[in-house]
Amino acid sequence: MAEFELDCLGEACPIPLVKTEKKMQELDVGDTLIVMIDHSCALKNVPEWARKNNYDVEVEEVGESEWEIFIDKTA
Amino acid sequence: MKLSSNKYYQAWFKNPWTYVTGAILLSIFQLVTIATTDGAWGVTGPFAVWGAWVVQAFGGSVDHWYFFSTESGRAALDRTFLTDPASVRNLGVIIGALLATLLASQFKFKKIKNLRQVGAAVFGGLLMGYGSRIAFGCNIGALYSGISNLSVSGWVFALFMFAGAFVGSKLLVKYFMQ
Repeated sequence: MAEFELDCLGEACPIPLVKTEKKMQELDVGDTLIVMIDHSCALKNVPEWARKNNYDVEVEEVGESEWEIFIDKTA
Repeated sequence: MKLSSNKYYQAWFKNPWTYVTGAILLSIFQLVTIATTDGAWGVTGPFAVWGAWVVQAFGGSVDHWYFFSTESGRAALDRTFLTDPASVRNLGVIIGALLATLLASQFKFKKIKNLRQVGAAVFGGLLMGYGSRIAFGCNIGALYSGISNLSVSGWVFALFMFAGAFVGSKLLVKYFMQ
């Protein structure tokens, strides 16, 4: 049940998405990945990708134009 | 109740509108553009005219440049910023984008991660600017306006744009994933 962070601040699309995809492969089932982003299009495509893979997703707006996406590797 | 949790505020200003909403609005406004300015919607054309104005302001002459030798090219040069619909529209795009991001409370100066990002942005910008001039339009003027005005050139542009995007995304993954 480990927690990992992925700092994608300052990265434009599609880099946050590609990095998230790669990182999720390294995680074990039950782990959580927190992706930090400040690019609004990643706010759309990262959760979309995660939901398509049946992961639990939660988005939190942590500041002005800054978000943390929590992805649970459920399967 | 806080404004940020008001559902109308969230629907109109905070959450991104759907692609379909955007597409419908773009279609309506490009019709308005043609009806009011007698020209199709374009973005990068005025950049070349702005550049020419700068050259002229410093006493240079662009009369012999092929790009401005056409009738429409000369006509654009004779206008001023405020009498050129495309220039005013570009300014509107920038002000509108700023307004939208401020209303959503999402304005932010993004930090630059590394020099490579700067180099790629400058080099990519130059390529896009130069490419859009030799193609006589960018993805708005040549692609969007081309296709919506039933021009074959728009579809040709689309084909090569997809090829470029494919190569570009491969380069992106190769050089920007560290």
